[in-house]
This record gives sequence, C-alpha cells and structure tokens, in this order.
Amino acid sequence: MSMELIVALSMGAALFGTGVYGALSQTNLVMIMMGIELILAAALVNLVAFWRYLHPDAMEAQMFLLIVMTVMAVEMAVGFGVAIARFRSRGSVEMEEAQELKG
Amino acid sequence: MSLQVFFLLVFGGAAVWFGIVVFLTHSMVRSALALLFSQTAIGAMFLVMQAEFLGVLQIMMMATEMSIMAIFMVMFMMDPGGLGEMDMKHQRKTSLAAGLVAFFGALAVAVFADWGPVATDIPDAGEQVRLLGFELLGRSMLIFESAGLTILTAMIAATAVAVQARERKPKP
Amino acid sequence: MSALFVAIFAPVLASFAVLLLRRHAGIIAVAGAGVAAVASAVLLAQAFSGAAATELILPGLPTYPLRLEASALTSALSMMVATVALFVLIFAVGYMKKDPEKPRFFATMLMFIAAMQMLVLSADWILLLAAWELIGVSSYLLIGFWHGKSGVAGSAMRAFIYTRSADLGLYIAAFLLIGVAGTSDISTSLATSGTAATLAGLLLLVAAMGKSAQVPLNDWLQRAMAGPTPVSALLHSATLVAAGAILLIRVAPMLPPSTLLVVGLVGGVTTVVTGLIALGEKDLKRLLAASTSSQYGLMLLAIGVGAPIVALLHLITHAAIKSGLFMGAGVFQHARGSTLMDDVAGAGRAHKRVFAGFVLAALALAGIPPLAGFFSKDAIIAATLYAPAGAGLLPLALAGTVLTGAYMARAMAQLWRGKGEAAAPSQALRWMGIGMAGPVVLAIILGAGFPALERLLGAEVATSALAAAMGLGAAGLGLVLGWFLPPAHLLGALLPWAQNGFAIAGGMDGLVARPVLALATALNRFETWLFNAVIKLGHASLRLGRASRISDEAGIDRAIFSFARRTVASGERARKLQSGLIHRQLAITIIATGILAAALFAAPLFY
Repeated sequence: MSMELIVALSMGAALFGTGVYGALSQTNLVMIMMGIELILAAALVNLVAFWRYLHPDAMEAQMFLLIVMTVMAVEMAVGFGVAIARFRSRGSVEMEEAQELKG
Repeated sequence: MSLQVFFLLVFGGAAVWFGIVVFLTHSMVRSALALLFSQTAIGAMFLVMQAEFLGVLQIMMMATEMSIMAIFMVMFMMDPGGLGEMDMKHQRKTSLAAGLVAFFGALAVAVFADWGPVATDIPDAGEQVRLLGFELLGRSMLIFESAGLTILTAMIAATAVAVQARERKPKP
Repeated sequence: MSALFVAIFAPVLASFAVLLLRRHAGIIAVAGAGVAAVASAVLLAQAFSGAAATELILPGLPTYPLRLEASALTSALSMMVATVALFVLIFAVGYMKKDPEKPRFFATMLMFIAAMQMLVLSADWILLLAAWELIGVSSYLLIGFWHGKSGVAGSAMRAFIYTRSADLGLYIAAFLLIGVAGTSDISTSLATSGTAATLAGLLLLVAAMGKSAQVPLNDWLQRAMAGPTPVSALLHSATLVAAGAILLIRVAPMLPPSTLLVVGLVGGVTTVVTGLIALGEKDLKRLLAASTSSQYGLMLLAIGVGAPIVALLHLITHAAIKSGLFMGAGVFQHARGSTLMDDVAGAGRAHKRVFAGFVLAALALAGIPPLAGFFSKDAIIAATLYAPAGAGLLPLALAGTVLTGAYMARAMAQLWRGKGEAAAPSQALRWMGIGMAGPVVLAIILGAGFPALERLLGAEVATSALAAAMGLGAAGLGLVLGWFLPPAHLLGALLPWAQNGFAIAGGMDGLVARPVLALATALNRFETWLFNAVIKLGHASLRLGRASRISDEAGIDRAIFSFARRTVASGERARKLQSGLIHRQLAITIIATGILAAALFAAPLFY
C-alpha cells in the first residue's frame, strides 16, 4: 500500500467534499458552478493518481483526463450562456427565486 | 516520507484550503481568485505526479477560465466587492452533511481498498507526450473527434442562448 | 240429456242466470225449479213403470267414481224435494217482493235445491259428503241472509257450528265404510256387518242428530228461524233437516239391532222433549221449529223399530204439511211484522183463507183422518206396537202424538183469538197464497197415494185398528188440551225449563258453541300476531338491508375513497420534491448518487 496513492486520493476526497458542500449551499448560479468545478477537479486528481501509481503505461487514462477537462470547459461555457439569458429575463441569477419549474 | 508525498501534501492542502476559501469569503472577486489558486495547486499536483502535459494544460486552462469567471461574477452579482456582508447560503445543514459524507466515504474507500502493487516504471515526459499523441490519433481518434464536435456544438449553443432575442422587423 | 242430469243442473243454471241478469230473479227461479220438478216427475214415472234404476257415473277419484242413481227410493225423495221447492219459490216471490236483495236470495235458494237433489240422488259416499257440505253452507248463507239485523249472524254461525260438529260423525263413518267395503258405492257398503256396522251406524246417527235437530243438538233449528220464512219453509221443514233422516233410512238395512235401539231411543226422547219445548214457545216460528224436531224424532223412532219405509212416508207427508204451516206463518209475519205469539194474536181472523189452510195442515200434522198425516202417524204407531223393542218406545210415540195435537191447537187458538181486521188482498199475498196452497192440497190428498208408494218402495206397511184408535185418541186429547188450556197450566213446573230449551249445563251453546268461538277468536289473535311478526321480520330484514347498505357506503366506500384521497395527498406531498429550486434538486441528485455508489461498492461483499 503506497503512501503517495493514499495521500493523493485523500486530497481528491477532500476537494470532492468541499465541492459538494459548495454546490449545495450557494444561492448564486455562478457559485454553484464553482462548486461543480471543484468536484470535477477532484475527479481529475483521482484519475491522475490512479494513472501514475497503478497503470503508468496506459495512455487511455490521460485520454480520459483530456475528455474530463473538455467537459469542464464546455459545461462552463453553456452554463454561462444560460446565466446571461436568465440575467436578461429576470435581472438576477439567484437560484432562490428560480421557481418557474415548480411542479 | 518521500518527496512526492511531501509535495502532494503541500499542494493538495493548498488546493483544499483555497477551495474552502471560495465559499467562505463574501467578496465575489476573491472567490474567483481563490478558485483560480485552487485549480493552479491542482495543476501543480499533476506536475508532482509526473503528468507534465496534463499539469501544464490544467494551469493554462484554469487561469483563463477563472479570469472569465471573475468577469461574469462582476456582471451578475449584486455585491461583487462583498462589502455588504450578506449571508448568501441556504440549506446549510444538508449541504454540510452531504459534503462530510462524501469526503469520509471517498476517504474510506481510498484507505481500505486494496489497490494492488504500485507501479514504478514511468515513461519520461517526452515519451509520455509521444505516446499520448499516438493514443489520441490512433485508438482514441473517434473520441477525440467527437470531443471536438461536442465543443463546437457547445460553443454554438452557448452563443445562441446568450444572444439577445431580436424582434422581427415588419416586412416593407 | 237424462232427467237425472236435468233435475240437478236446471237449478244450477237458473242460479247463474239470476246472478248474471239480476232482474226477474223470482220468475227465473220459479222457472228453474219448475224444470227440475218436471225432470223429477219423469224419474218417478220411470221408477213407477218398473224400469231399472237410471244411473249416471261421473269420473271422480282414481278408484272411486261418482255415482248418481235414480232408484225407487231416491226418485220419490227427489220428487218431494222438487215439489216443495217449487211451491216455496212461488211463495218467496210474494214474500220477498219488497226485499232489495232478491238476486242473492234466489241464487242461494237454487244452489241449495241443486245440492239437495244431488244428495238424494247420490249413490256413493263421496258425492253424498260433498252434497252434505253444500247444503250446510247454503243453510248458513240463507239463515244469515239478513245479516244486517242484530243476532242473525250469531244464529247462523251457531247453526253452522252445531251441524258441522255433528258432520264429523258422517265423515268418519263414510271413511270407515269405504275402507271396509273397498268401494265408495253406498249399496255395496250396506253389506258391512259386525263391529264396523255398529260403529258406522252410531256415527251416522250422530250426523243425523246434528242435521235433523235431535236432542241434544236441537237448539240450532230454533235459532235458524232468524232467517226469512221461505228458508224455514224449505230448508228447515222439508229438506235440510230431512237429510239426517234420509241418511238413516238409506243405511237402515245395515244397522244391527243394538244401534237401532239407540236410534229409536234418541228419536223417542227428542219427540217428547221438543214437543214440550214447542208447547212453551213464545214465538210461532220457533214453535214450528220445535215441532219439526219432534216429528223427526218420530221418524227416527220408526227407523229404530225396524220400519224405515214408514219413516220415509212420514217424511214425505211432514214435508208437505210443515212447509204449508211455515208459509202460513210467513203470511201472518208479513201482515203483523213479527212472529211473536203475542203479535200474531188474531191474525188468523184477518186472513181467513190462509188460516183455513193453516188449520188443515195443523190437523193433518196432529193426525186427523182423512188427512195425510193420519196415515203416516198410524203406520208409525202400528210399527211401534208390533215391533219387538216397541214396548219401551210406544209410550214415547203416544206422548209425542199428544204433544203434537197440543201445540198445534195452541198455535191455532192464538191465531184465532184476538182482534183482527181483514187485510186488503195484494199482489204479494196472491203469490204467497198460491205457494201455500200447493203443499196444503198435497197434505190433504197424499194419503190416497200411499198404497202406490208402498208398492213402489216394495214395503209392507202394517195397519191395525188398535194403532189407529190409539193414535186418534192421543191426537184428540192433545187438540182439546191445547185449545182450552194455556201452556202454563199444561206444563206446570216444566215451563221455565221448556222455555229455556231444557238446557243442561249451559246446553250446546255453552258446551260447544262458545268454546269453539273462543278458540276461533284466540286463533285469530294468534294469526294476527304471526302476521305482525312476519311483517316485523320483513322490517328487520329491511333494516338489515339498510344497515348493510350504510356499512357498505360508510365503511367500504369510505375506506376506498379515503384510500384514494390519501394517495392524492401523498402525491401532493411528493409534489414538494418538485420545488423547482435548483439547489434542492441538486441535493437530491447528490444524495441519490451517493446511495447508488454505496450500493455498488457494497455489492461485492455480498455476492
């Protein structure tokens, strides 16, 4: 049992926890998206740790990493587009007031 | 304690600390900057774990993203400077509980799982990039291409959503 | 169609015609009775000419066909019934002229006549039983004809109960004889002997006592006088009460000497007791009713000494005489409005011709020659004189004769003495007069026809000068006593007894009628209770039904509806999940993902 792996994974776990906390506790859309960023970053950390300490010669892991990074960027782009549209129609991006989809 | 562990701890701790600061501070710009530093620390962790390409990629990307985010912050927030000292949180207990459960759950898995033997033979950086290139344009070509397509679609979609709806001019 | 058929069905058809047409009821009735009389005459002529008995067999029960037979005996009886019926109906046309319910009266009378014809012409027990029942029912309907008057319904009911209770004897005897003989043919069953014959004989005597108003079942006949006088003239002098005697005459060949002795005793006692009652009566019709019982007692006495044909002869003469007497009483009732002895005093003086007829009939009854009654009375006394068991019965017969003369003289005296204005002759009176004239004439001339009758019936009737002398002497004594002495002197201490009908221990009324009526009332109450109980049961089951419906609606329906409501409510609560708030949705997503991940990680431990 290698120490490095466990440390890396624990860091990833901590980042994940923080991200979850942030995503759930913030009222502003932008802040929620920051939380989601942190979650994805935690996933990235874990991925790198697994690649480095378990399968260094498997380049598919790095491929996976690239895809996650792409997802991060794309998600941010679309998210901010929605935020602009919302801001234009309502004048704020506070999630407390966004009850239109209430069922 | 090996060097890697030490630096992992340092950069990891920085990342986590800055991540927490993101949600503690009242100022929006400071939140964005704290996130930037957190992501940079994560990139540093990548470098420590000898994934040079990815580390550099992470640092570059995140720097740009966080700056844009700061701009958006300023655009949308009521109190970007955070001088009003307003409490902008809700469902605190739930989120705290969820966060803690997630952290401890992942930690438990990390500590108690048997990950097997640790590899020691790492290709060097140039070799990594070369192999990554082969990977990208060889086996994972389809993934790469579809990723590219997805990015294009996302760009167009984001633009379409963000563009202000114009009224149709009456035909003369 | 045979004369037999016509004799019975002509009155039936006439009865239906009366009920349907409701007009000219009297004329139709007389016509029907006339046709029946002609048919009976044809039957009698056939019998006289020596032809074999006409038979009519109708399908009945599987092994017991119904038989009607016109033999010598039955044709003679049929002729008697038809003749008296015809004259009484003519009388009734006048008597009922002012009555509003003529159709009902004439229809019932015709039904009675048909039933009586059926009874005398029947040759098997079952038909006899049916006819017996029918005449009982007709009698009840006719006695209670004026049911609006007080006391009439009670009299009819009592008459019916007394005769009905005696009819039990007939039923048991008939079944006994059918069982022993194996067939319901009367003439075949007369061959029975031994204990069966004794038993059957005694039971038939009970039935005859009921129908012919012998002691102790004689009270009903006096109560029956509450009905219209034509009813009394037909039913209660010549036909219905004759049924008992006719029954005994027909089964006389079968009866053993012991039974005959009992029959004779019953007849003798009745003659005397009812004669005394007649003497003490305060009502003319009741006097005549008691007289009827007395005369039938004489007939039973004759049967008892072994001379049934003599009894038959007396029956025929008595029919003519008594119906004539009753019709006379009816005329006086019409004139005075009541038949109480005090009210009719002097009525004879007012209607001299009617009174003359009345006197002739009365003398015939007393037994004065050359009227018919003399010959039949003489025959009875002669038979009693020369019979082995006659020693004990002769005094009773003679006493009966004396009493007959006495009460008839008393009636005549009451009618003659007193004031009376001559009444104007009216249409009703003419009819009544014609009706009365017939039987009176018969009463006079029937004596001449006796030799022919005796030849027909094939019996030797003994006559003796001694019997004739004794009879005349007794009759004369009676007439003189009755004319000159009032009843109080004649009866002395027996007067209150006589007026009470010699009732012992409450009489039949207290022993039979009242208990029966009390039982009927109790049963009626029970039945009402039962009916109410059934209705309550119905109510209870309705309530049960309602309760079940309510429980179904309140219980089951409510359960189902509340279940539906709760489902909708839980849906409402589940709706809260869809708050539309991003952070909440996010929280749910993360929690759900966590659970999934935990399940996935835990899976290898178990599988």
